[in-house]
Amino acid sequence: MNHYLGVDLGSTTSKAVVVDDAGTIQAASIVQMGAVSRAGMQRAVDEALADAGLRADDLSGTVSTGYGRRLVPLAQRSFTEITCHARGTSAMVPGVRLVIDIGGQDSKAITVDSGGLVEDFAMNDRCASGTGRFYEVLARAIECDIGELGPLALRGGIDLEVSSMCATFAETEIVSLLAQGHAIEDIASSVHRAIAARTLALVAQVGRRAPVVLTGGVARNPAARHFLSLALNHEVIVPEHPQITGAYGAALLAREQTRGPAAAEGDADRPSRVPHTEPGHSCAECDGRPSAIVELGPVIGVRNR
Amino acid sequence: MTQTAERHDRSNRLSVTRAGGQLVADYWDNLFAAREAGKQIVWYNGGALNPIFQAAGLAWCHGEAFAARLAAQRLEGPAQLAGAEYGYNAELCSYSRTHLGCSVLTLQGASLQSGEGEHTGVVGVADQRELASRLPSPDFFVNNYAGCSTGQQWDGISYRVFGKQLPIFNISHPFLWGNKPDAGYLTGEEWEEASGFVEGQLRELIAWLETQTGRPFDWDALSQSMDYIKRAAELRREGLDLCKAKPAPATFWDWIACVAPINFLPGDQALVDYFAGVRDEIKQRLDAGVPGVQGERYRLYFDGIMNWNKLGFLSRKFAEHGAAVLAGRYIHNAFWQEPHLIDVENPLRGMAQHYLLCPTNHGSRTLDYLTLRDCREYDVDGIVFHSTRTCRAFTGPQRLLARSALNTLGIPAIFFEGDVADASFYKEEILESRLVAMLEQIDMRRQRGEHTGALGALGPARS
Repeated sequence: MNHYLGVDLGSTTSKAVVVDDAGTIQAASIVQMGAVSRAGMQRAVDEALADAGLRADDLSGTVSTGYGRRLVPLAQRSFTEITCHARGTSAMVPGVRLVIDIGGQDSKAITVDSGGLVEDFAMNDRCASGTGRFYEVLARAIECDIGELGPLALRGGIDLEVSSMCATFAETEIVSLLAQGHAIEDIASSVHRAIAARTLALVAQVGRRAPVVLTGGVARNPAARHFLSLALNHEVIVPEHPQITGAYGAALLAREQTRGPAAAEGDADRPSRVPHTEPGHSCAECDGRPSAIVELGPVIGVRNR
Repeated sequence: MTQTAERHDRSNRLSVTRAGGQLVADYWDNLFAAREAGKQIVWYNGGALNPIFQAAGLAWCHGEAFAARLAAQRLEGPAQLAGAEYGYNAELCSYSRTHLGCSVLTLQGASLQSGEGEHTGVVGVADQRELASRLPSPDFFVNNYAGCSTGQQWDGISYRVFGKQLPIFNISHPFLWGNKPDAGYLTGEEWEEASGFVEGQLRELIAWLETQTGRPFDWDALSQSMDYIKRAAELRREGLDLCKAKPAPATFWDWIACVAPINFLPGDQALVDYFAGVRDEIKQRLDAGVPGVQGERYRLYFDGIMNWNKLGFLSRKFAEHGAAVLAGRYIHNAFWQEPHLIDVENPLRGMAQHYLLCPTNHGSRTLDYLTLRDCREYDVDGIVFHSTRTCRAFTGPQRLLARSALNTLGIPAIFFEGDVADASFYKEEILESRLVAMLEQIDMRRQRGEHTGALGALGPARS
């Protein structure tokens, strides 16, 4: 029996998944040890291998992903989170068409075709808006444990229309709402609504599809799922282990890379010349119509007028 | 797919563009000394009016071009600080912010020379300050912007910086909506009417220049200049056409290095010789089988104005992934791109038409046509959209173009944020992640046995 390892070295957590020849998960591990932590990654790998009863030498292939994908020494190859989340989620939830992954530092919307391959994707730009970091800022501001945030937000009712999308400015806005005496349940639910709206803008870039699957650490927050479902006006599925979809996808890709066909190599043909195929261009003596290739003569100068 | 092995530079830029760099450097040196040479100086923005200025015996400074030059040399900072000090922050077009800063520094330099002023600004590094302030003060302004929401205000502010005392001439360009029944690229009533409208203004500009210079305009010199430019533009188009080959002998980045020569250098034999040299080096590469990117695996289209402070970096970055960037709106649909429109005996109409053909001056229907046409002709596998932070005129239709390319040709697209002359908007990891994800997407489809290029596209529209 062959085994394959997928490692997702993310911004805040490290995940490792071991699969067998059939693609079945044999072991999985999640370790939170700080930003892009190599120690955390090693611990996640060690734990997953131990759970599977394997040593590193027993692995037939390893693929890495995540922010720190280039820092994983065991990996023969790395893939982006986009590819791995799509692959892993498609395997966990067959038929999925839209993956929304909200991790510690970024969020992404990925549309997947009927074959489970990435069709289109969009990611948040630069700031932490709509990411796990944003929820951490909220939890700190209202002085609650991150694990209690979801249940708290589900108890809120009034929409306070939180508008700031920058995590720093949002903290200021939350402090202002606290100072005005608003209930922390309403503040929490309002921030969740704002983040769902932000995520909806990301989804708009790739197009709304269904079934919708929410992955990443934020998927464990029931309020995040609830308000996203309201914003999308559609059921949002959360897999049993939403944090390991990237690592799972990486493990599946390790299996496919070892067993499947190699990537197509570059075109080794001799250079070929291509004529215009459509009207509108003009070059040399050409009048912009589709035609054979046109070339100037060897003498280059200004034509006689 | 990203290999974990060490990466190396796989770009293979054309060597001839170094000669173009020297021509451009000489041009700026001549401009810096134009006042001493007894020339009148015009500052202008937008479309390439330089043949008219050349025929009028003027020295000319294209504001965007100087901002781009400073950015390419990583010297834009002092001018931008001066612009910020004058009141223009980072949300304003970084070309205009840089150039307005140059206005402030130029004026400050002139005041110092006359003993009337003193440095009070925040700009400190002496050599950079000197470079940013070396532009000679203008005698007058001409604005020739099409499809830009900032261009006219930009020159309006320059006019204010110089005390509202210098003449300014503004040319208005109708936006080419392209939505009339007979409208099409280079055709239809809208196109003909707009061409005539701008041509008429060019005649008024020439009469105005005669007043400013006190000399009759030299129409023969204009024809001669446009004859050279038309020839250079034809050679440029022929070179672009040769780059459809697989693997491509040169890339988008080589053509970016050719923007300055075609955009504002004088129309003369040196310009023709330069583009003949570009064309010839490309032909030699084709004959010898030398590619512009070692191990070309992907062919890409680039939509967006150039990040001028990232030319070498982006060239290497795409090449390290085996990605040959071959075509783009900023190259294929700008800069005397339709030389057959130019009648050298009567060049004003063809010139007016090129000003209208600014890549920000088309409705989405025409942009869609041009983008898909070039994607097909270069058989590209994907599109990279440079979402230019301070040029919303360029970025506005990009999502529509991405969706159209996916639905019509089945090719994916990515977006990354940057700017024309402000590197602070660019984040490497964002481009790296998105680019590699798209290349993985293309690889996966190839593994599945699908054709990934725009020619022989994946099939019917996706829902």
